[in-house]
Amino acid sequence: MIDGTIADGRRRAELGMVLLAGVITSGAYVLASLGRNASIPAGIAVFLMFVLGLLVLAHVAVRMLARGADPMILPMAAFLHGLGWVMVARLSARWGGLQATWSLIGVGAFVATLFVVRRVGDLRRHKYTALALGIGLLLLPMVPGIGFSSGGARIWVSIGPVNFQPGEFAKILLAVFFAAYLDERRHLIVESERRIGPVTLPEPRHLAPVLVAWGMSVVIMVGQRDLGSSLMFFTLFVVLLWLATEKTGYLVVGLGLFAAGAVAAYNVFGHVQTRVSIWLDPWPVYETKGYQNIQALFGLANGGMTGTGLGLGSPQMVPAAHNDFIFASIGEELGLMGAAAVLAAFVLLVGAGMRTALRTTKDFEKLLAAGLTTILGVQAFIIVGGVLRVVPLTGVTLPFMSYGGSSLVANYVLLALLVRISDSTARELREVPVREGRR
Amino acid sequence: MNQRIRHLTAVLLLLFGALFVSLTNWQVRQQNVLRADGRNNRTTLRDFDSPRGRILTADNKVIADTVPVDRAAHPNDKFDWQRTYPFGELYAHLTGHYTFGFGSSHAEKEFDDVLAGRTAQQQLEATGSLFEKVDTSGTVHLTVNSELQEAAKAALKGREGSAVVLDPRTGAVLAMYSNPSYDPNRVASHDGGAVLGYLNELNADEGKPLLANAWQERYMPGSTFKIVTTTVGLETGAMNDLSVFENSRSWTPPDTKKPIRNYGKKVCGGDLAEVFRRSCNIPFAQTAVTVGPSLFVNGVNKFGFDEQLPFDLPGAAWSTFGGTAAEFDDSLALLAIHGFGQGEVQVVPLHLAMIAGAVANGGAMRAPFVVTDTRSARGTVISATQPRTWKTPMAPATAATLRRLMIGVVENGTATCCLRLANGVQAAAKTGTAQLNPEGQRQRSHAWITAFAPAGEGQVPRAVVAVMLKGVNDEISTGTGGRLAGPVAKTLLDTAMRVVPD
Repeated sequence: MIDGTIADGRRRAELGMVLLAGVITSGAYVLASLGRNASIPAGIAVFLMFVLGLLVLAHVAVRMLARGADPMILPMAAFLHGLGWVMVARLSARWGGLQATWSLIGVGAFVATLFVVRRVGDLRRHKYTALALGIGLLLLPMVPGIGFSSGGARIWVSIGPVNFQPGEFAKILLAVFFAAYLDERRHLIVESERRIGPVTLPEPRHLAPVLVAWGMSVVIMVGQRDLGSSLMFFTLFVVLLWLATEKTGYLVVGLGLFAAGAVAAYNVFGHVQTRVSIWLDPWPVYETKGYQNIQALFGLANGGMTGTGLGLGSPQMVPAAHNDFIFASIGEELGLMGAAAVLAAFVLLVGAGMRTALRTTKDFEKLLAAGLTTILGVQAFIIVGGVLRVVPLTGVTLPFMSYGGSSLVANYVLLALLVRISDSTARELREVPVREGRR
Repeated sequence: MNQRIRHLTAVLLLLFGALFVSLTNWQVRQQNVLRADGRNNRTTLRDFDSPRGRILTADNKVIADTVPVDRAAHPNDKFDWQRTYPFGELYAHLTGHYTFGFGSSHAEKEFDDVLAGRTAQQQLEATGSLFEKVDTSGTVHLTVNSELQEAAKAALKGREGSAVVLDPRTGAVLAMYSNPSYDPNRVASHDGGAVLGYLNELNADEGKPLLANAWQERYMPGSTFKIVTTTVGLETGAMNDLSVFENSRSWTPPDTKKPIRNYGKKVCGGDLAEVFRRSCNIPFAQTAVTVGPSLFVNGVNKFGFDEQLPFDLPGAAWSTFGGTAAEFDDSLALLAIHGFGQGEVQVVPLHLAMIAGAVANGGAMRAPFVVTDTRSARGTVISATQPRTWKTPMAPATAATLRRLMIGVVENGTATCCLRLANGVQAAAKTGTAQLNPEGQRQRSHAWITAFAPAGEGQVPRAVVAVMLKGVNDEISTGTGGRLAGPVAKTLLDTAMRVVPD
């Protein structure tokens, strides 16, 4: 096979960037250890081999199973994952060790998804299964006996020795369902529109999914006190509806419903009012509810432009520094430069996801890619914005960076789906040599 | 659909743009506000979690150190390191203190960056050794000699006041001790409640132990000010070596009916050498009036009056002549009284040593300094003090005349009792007894002396002292500067002759 095909170029670029992510991760790991303990970490060789092994495994899987895919997707995730892991390990060796296991499972899930899902279009056939599973998973934490609350939100499930957040997986399943449902029905929805007064609305039965989405967000908000996930799901559904129908009216209706829900929630629930008042002015309640937010700001200021250096700041002063507030930890120890690099990586990842959605010609894949990318971007925005007080703080994980298995594994599955869609477009466009690309 | 996807992408980019703007706001624009917030103790926390550099005397005695916290004695201490001052109150007014919640002072404050290892040079050295944790904290080396400092404290015998020893050739502070002092160890304790109690006690003390009265306070100088008046008289030509002042008991200056008398209401007069060594008041009052307000204030200002002393620790006081030329134009009587160091004149003890130092140094007054240099952990000099002349209040000839006059004070004058130095070393001095209350009230007076040695023909003086005992009780107030402060000056000059190299 001659060199220089588009696909091969992409894989070479990906390999280079993936290795760079590995070098950055290992370097950061050594620096964090030097900063904290003044010594080269004992298991550095093992760590290096583990990280490089994982990265090469993921890269080889893409090379074998999706060689035409966008080269930006995997390296950006690898960079965020590596940096987040170093920060988690720097905050607590125990969490770092656990996160290693989750990293292995996450990359394993990435490879497995690429292996199992050969054509994304096949997922359409399972859309109702996805819906049922998704709703089931969402409601699971509310089942007495296995569901439990942590940090105020009832989003956890404990089965045997394993604790996980089913919502992280539900978001992918529901994205699949909605993309498939809207792909199938979008013409029906658009054609059944009728004017009621000033607004144009489709027949109620076609409007059902929007109402279901709205209902679901209300259920999550009320039943699980999880504002962040609620906002995320609702954004996903409204955005997909808008993309599918190309009707701005849905966006308006969706926003109206969300606003109504938000106002109602604000008036009914004390914890929503608390969140909003902390967002507006945390200083009077520094000693209590504003502590986390203000300490995060102190940490960011302490970091300044270049940061204190890994292992040399005090990010552990912020509660949940390894989890929801990992972005504040990054900002403190790596400074504006490091935190901006993280934001840039998210922007590039979102860009690659949206590019995938733009390039594909199939509507279902377009909707799915845009939906999954929206989830990723909005989730990152909600939590980083919460830390920075751009929006009220709602606890969701920062994709790929926060400590936590469910989030990491789910996001790698999401990543694999984006890679798969990107690859099938490349094959369609004959960017992958036919002989090599046979399957 | 693609158009919508592009819009969606644009919206997401805008959201991330907002995050970046907000991030920059917190990390750059509001950085200093957030760092300065009293509730943000990250910087202090970091500094308290690492060793801090030492402060040493010229003879390498460690006078401020950091030691690991004794876990057995303080099981609940939240820090690993404790700042200690091995000599307690002896160096408190030079090192100052470094505390967790109550700020820092003196050298600990001024040289914080060096001690904590934050200067650019120290950071640069640390980056050179990327793969091992280095202690970047630097050291601060003082000019103070521990033997002289201990002698100063011992000679004061607990009396309120201060003793300063300078090297007149450079301005280096060889010893500087003030009573009352305080124990910086008790302020640097990690037990916040105990510290607060101690600080309240110190603040309530009338003697103001937290202030170094040697360089942060000023007092009426009495007759020691006659060095200044004589200088101005000689420089303006109002006086010369041959000036003779008639014997008198009292003199009424212009603009008043109140006569000026000599100390002890004695009859006093003679040539310049005699009136200087006996410290008559009337000749100096007359000289000030003869010179006139404008020229006299001008001459006084050449000594650096009404200017903050150029010391290398923050918060130095300044001496004041207590009036402007215009004010003295209106009252020559006031000028006459100020001419012999009474009235509103106030001098910082350190400044008096500098004034006598200018005489000893041929007319050039050196800027005083207590820090020789600061060094990085590797021993590289970060900053070193270059001795410099602050003021030149007199010509060399005037300095030579004053030196002779001051030798007269030791040979056959107000300091004869007490300044015969060991090994026949010649000293030169001027005493002062500053009367704080008008006649008729209970007498309160400060006892002063300033002296330097060796002052013999052709010798270069290498130590100048200024001693002040505050007139807080009858014991001090019934004595004179020569009898009370003289022995302190003798001890210090004797010690200095041994420990200060040529």
